Amino acid sequence: MLETEELSKAFKGKTVVEGVSLYLEKGESVGLLGPNGAGKSTTISMISSLMKPTSGEVLLHGENVIKNPGKIRKVLGVVPQDIALYQELTAYENLKFFGRIYGLKGQMLTEKIKEVFSLVGLTDRQGDILNTFSGGMKRRVNIAAALLHDPEILIMDEPTVGIDPQSRSYILDMIRELNLQKGITVLYTSHYMEEVERLCDRVYIMDHGKIISSGTKEELKSILSGEETILMELDRAYPEMEKEFQQLDSIRQVIETEKGLKLISVKGSRLLSSLFQIADRHEAQVTNVNIQEPSLEDVFLHLTGRKLRD
Amino acid sequence: MRLFIWKDLIVILRDRSEIMVLLLMPFILIGILGFALGGILGGDSSEIDVQVALVAEDNTEEGTAQFLQELEEIELPDELHEEIAETARTLNPAKLLKEFLENEDLKEIVTVEEMKASEASRMLEAGELDAVLTLPEGFTYTSLQAMIWNEEISADVIVTLSENGSLYANIFADLIEGFVEVLNLESAIASAAGPEAAREGEPAETGGVIPIAQNEPVNSMQYYSIGMAVMFVLYVAGTIASKAYVEKHEQVYNRIILSGTHPAKYLSGKWMTGTLFSFLQMGILFTLSAFIFRTFSLDSINFWTGMVFITFVLALCIGSLTSLLTSISIRFESDAVSSIFSGGVVTLFAFAGGSFFPLAGMPQVIVEAGNWTPNGIAMTAYLLWLQGFEWTVLLPSLNRLLLLSAVLLAASVIIFPRRRSVTS
Repeated sequence: MLETEELSKAFKGKTVVEGVSLYLEKGESVGLLGPNGAGKSTTISMISSLMKPTSGEVLLHGENVIKNPGKIRKVLGVVPQDIALYQELTAYENLKFFGRIYGLKGQMLTEKIKEVFSLVGLTDRQGDILNTFSGGMKRRVNIAAALLHDPEILIMDEPTVGIDPQSRSYILDMIRELNLQKGITVLYTSHYMEEVERLCDRVYIMDHGKIISSGTKEELKSILSGEETILMELDRAYPEMEKEFQQLDSIRQVIETEKGLKLISVKGSRLLSSLFQIADRHEAQVTNVNIQEPSLEDVFLHLTGRKLRD
Repeated sequence: MRLFIWKDLIVILRDRSEIMVLLLMPFILIGILGFALGGILGGDSSEIDVQVALVAEDNTEEGTAQFLQELEEIELPDELHEEIAETARTLNPAKLLKEFLENEDLKEIVTVEEMKASEASRMLEAGELDAVLTLPEGFTYTSLQAMIWNEEISADVIVTLSENGSLYANIFADLIEGFVEVLNLESAIASAAGPEAAREGEPAETGGVIPIAQNEPVNSMQYYSIGMAVMFVLYVAGTIASKAYVEKHEQVYNRIILSGTHPAKYLSGKWMTGTLFSFLQMGILFTLSAFIFRTFSLDSINFWTGMVFITFVLALCIGSLTSLLTSISIRFESDAVSSIFSGGVVTLFAFAGGSFFPLAGMPQVIVEAGNWTPNGIAMTAYLLWLQGFEWTVLLPSLNRLLLLSAVLLAASVIIFPRRRSVTS
């Protein structure tokens, strides 16, 4: 349905996106995962025709739309990272304005506004000025404005940045519903691993302007199929003990976390007794130990050598 | 298009701080400046009322007779003797002074009443008079001597001012001093040119203390109503451009472009909003000023038709300025231009355009610069109209405003990103 071929973008000689090729099938929910500055927003700006690529193509149903952006704009709904709304207008006035510029009018416009307010759960607040809304509610109106013209593809650029967990959960459920029940194709960018794991069927991982890996969640996790993650919670940091862990043959990586250490080890290496012995020698107080299957976060770490939010 | 105008107007009207700047502040400043600086302009003279008592201790006939008697004793050719005698009989210094005080222009600010010295003194002490003008004994005789023989003595009158030190009393004293100087100057001219010249002297031309304008003068409240309105209307352009920058910065502009809206429609919306809002702003200011400060007469349809027309032409120019500032803000994704404009350029324009005080006496370069600012050009047009000049006199200013509008609009179209893709 929508694909990019070798999409690149350079600003003043500096390449920020390089050779990005990705595709979206109808009805799919695809994640574009990467840390801040990875080139996600630039990539979706090029896909949505807001930015002209330095090279490469954006194809909609096989037709290059870079020179004729009108075609892709008709089928796209874009939810930008910022609250792209008028703070001084009411939620209803905002949707009325954006609905009108999309050519909706009269009863059709009224019905559509009613429908999207119901979808984002803000019917009761539609007459309030946007300035009085919480961050989560503004984000919901931001999404509603992108749905007014019944887009086939919804491109969302980190739509949950800076909001509370309840609002985030509401928005994620809403997007999943749009994807599954209304068949809207979703391209979702985020640096929150858990959001992408929850929402997306397939994932592209970006770093330093390039796609470094892609596939279904399972395919990506299989990269680490021979590994497991041990989370060890400690009362404080023990740098000497950490060094000793790193010298164990079965340990691939040792990462400091807020509560202790994250150890990536060879699957089935039965390390626990060795770990406890070392901890005992260092008089470390271990408060909890948990063995996990690898997550997308671990995959990212494995691929880039750093955490998503570094 | 109406949709964009509606949206922009609502966005501004719901921003209280902007409304304070665009409507409340100029109105307050009109009041403060108009009252505080009242009296500095010609038109304010109608508010001055100087109460003066004229005390004549001089006897004109006796003074003239004394002069003629002394003339008899001087040896002169008969013909010249007779001519000087005739001049002395014609010249009546006290009458000249009374005619001066009854001059049409002076009558508007000075009320003169003849009375006895004792009564004048009592009224002055009671604060009922601003000044007492006394023609001392021998005034006629001394004046004739000064005027005809050009003797070193001067024709003095006595001006006694109120102890309260009224500004009006001082103005009156200056007027009389000017008159006396002219009287003595005319005597000098008479001496040089002969008695005929003295006879033809007109007392009304007293050194230009009261400028005799060809048309209606403008008072300070009118001046500052115009001055503040044309200054604060400039902020409309800065305000709308800064809102456009917010639209761009927060990706609202991108959302508008993604809807398939042509960028020209967006820019036209800004131009029309700038025009409409500035027209409304000035209309509100002038109307409030007329109702509350009684600045302009509400009776003349002709006057208000002219005001509406000048305001409309200025509003077109402000719309174009809005369009230009918006183009720059969108093109360079920066609010620096609108900030600098509102933070400094408006004040400079207001200064050069004469919003703070009349530019008479300022360096020519400032006057010239002001003649190319929208506010300066409009101010000239408004002031000419207030003074009752014909349309033909205003046309150069209005044409200049229209030319400036066209140039600003053309520049804004050239600068605005043309491609339908937002970022290159």
